[in-house]
Amino acid sequence: METEIAEKIVAGSPPRTDRRSGFSSHAFFMLILALLLIVLAIVFVFSMGMGATKLGVREVLASLIHWHRSGDTNSVILFEIRLPRVLASALVGAALSVAGLLFQGLFRNPMADPYVIGTSGGAALGAGIGLFLLPGFSFLGFGATAAMAFAGSVATMALVYWLARIGGRVPVVTLLLAGFAVSTMFSYSTYFLVVLDDNFGLRTRVLASWLTGVIAVPRWSQLEVTAVMIGCGFILCFPLARRLNTLALGDDYARQVGVQVEKTHLAIILTGSLITAAAVSLGGVISFVGLIIPHMARLVLGPNHVRLLPVTAIAGAIFLVLADTLARTVLAPSEVPVGLITACIGGPFFLYLLRRSRREYAL
Amino acid sequence: MTPLLEFVDVSFNYDRRPVVQGLNFTVEQGECAALIGPNGVGKTTLLRLAAGTLVGSQGRISLAGQGPDTLPRGEAAKVVALVPQRFEVPFDFTVEQIVEQGRTPYIGLFAGFKRRDREAVERALELADVASLRNRIFNELSGGERQRVKIALGLAQEPRLLLLDEPTQSLDLGRQLELLGLIKTLSEEGVTVLAAMHDLQLIEGTFSSVLLLEPSHKLRKGRPRDILQADILERAFDCPPQRHPKLVGESRALLEKML
Repeated sequence: METEIAEKIVAGSPPRTDRRSGFSSHAFFMLILALLLIVLAIVFVFSMGMGATKLGVREVLASLIHWHRSGDTNSVILFEIRLPRVLASALVGAALSVAGLLFQGLFRNPMADPYVIGTSGGAALGAGIGLFLLPGFSFLGFGATAAMAFAGSVATMALVYWLARIGGRVPVVTLLLAGFAVSTMFSYSTYFLVVLDDNFGLRTRVLASWLTGVIAVPRWSQLEVTAVMIGCGFILCFPLARRLNTLALGDDYARQVGVQVEKTHLAIILTGSLITAAAVSLGGVISFVGLIIPHMARLVLGPNHVRLLPVTAIAGAIFLVLADTLARTVLAPSEVPVGLITACIGGPFFLYLLRRSRREYAL
Repeated sequence: MTPLLEFVDVSFNYDRRPVVQGLNFTVEQGECAALIGPNGVGKTTLLRLAAGTLVGSQGRISLAGQGPDTLPRGEAAKVVALVPQRFEVPFDFTVEQIVEQGRTPYIGLFAGFKRRDREAVERALELADVASLRNRIFNELSGGERQRVKIALGLAQEPRLLLLDEPTQSLDLGRQLELLGLIKTLSEEGVTVLAAMHDLQLIEGTFSSVLLLEPSHKLRKGRPRDILQADILERAFDCPPQRHPKLVGESRALLEKML
């Protein structure tokens, strides 16, 4: 055996007929990325045209290209209602998907989602407090529900991280358990607030629909704030994506090759939670996006997080823009919560892919 | 000459339970050393201490004459690489993607792979004889193939000292012999090796020295034929009398015939 190996070293490597060269896998990645960008553009324009007043592709494109904001009804519909809402859906979809990717990578578990460390419970409680106890409150253009949901998410994340910290380290299993327990506690605490509802159950209904996920038409100022937060989060994700590849081989291995494991965990948790909180403040608690989009991307592209990151963000944006378009048109003039659409369409599609791939996960 | 790895009076406790105590030994450049000892005696702990993944020990551990205070973790990873015994990969990483992670100490947070890194990965794949497996999914490989990929991962760090934790564990005889061949080749290529070994009969002919860690926390070091003596092993491994020497003798004869 040793002579065989020695011979190979001297003679150079044998011809590698089975090798998929670095270029071809890179080319495949670039192709997927380009395709997704084209699909996003198409979906964007299509979604802008859909609604009670249908607008043609040309009209939408002409308005967007010339940024023509006249005072006529169609222009108001496009620039004040549809564009902010479509942008918000794209932002929320991208943010939740990327957060899902970060948490699945961190916990080395494809079941993790953006709410895994308690963000959804915190958001629910925050939203409940905002809606029932501080109805007049607003911050940076956000109403009480959204602003308090954001605060609730961030506070819960900090609490869970503190609870899970043992002797300077944060074991992932403890973090998952603490996240689950705190989230459940907070979610159920929210129902206490329902008792306070003296307004014929109206606020309870608002809360219920918000907890299922509803992308309201945001103000431009709200969009700007969340876009900056989510954008900054995405920039931070790029160096973290490379580290996630190393962390996938285990914390001990990562430590061995010089990764500062605890600091990297904290950076991933902070980034993931902040973009989730920003998404929650725009669209409530939308389930399934953060779970299925990274998973689908992984089935197509493999597990390299550096490549998964942009693909997941764009695919998440496409998915949620489509889901929200359906949510506001399928039972028009009524609206269906977008979370209902993501679960009803995303769920079966995800299960179909899971069955087809027939892959086992080593957990 | 400065030893590549030096333990001076090193002790380590897990929850106040002493695992290693007062260890003193050196591994010189170019050595191919086997670390043996009964189960639970602290072989993995010793390797993890040497690799710097376990902290909180007393005493001094130096790599190429430098302690952890002068040699930061990232720099130490260019000197020493640990190939772990257990290695769970949750996603479908290919062999090449796994081996690329060995370049982590050389790549900055915002930088990408350079030509130098690509070459190191190629060399590691070639040396461990896994280049033909590069596009295979790691989790779908056989035990022997996985072991070789893990070694390629360690080699991609371009370490001067390669630490292997039970590399032949759960491999069949043929794969064990392949792995020993690989260890020998690495040693000939100038890589210093320290491998925790379970199968004592695989040591002679491949390793130049043996470190025997005894339950009494004592460490003996010597040439294989000096340490692999029936009376020494019988005591260290607490073997039933008459059984172990026979086993060693028979296996050795069998292996000599095969090699």
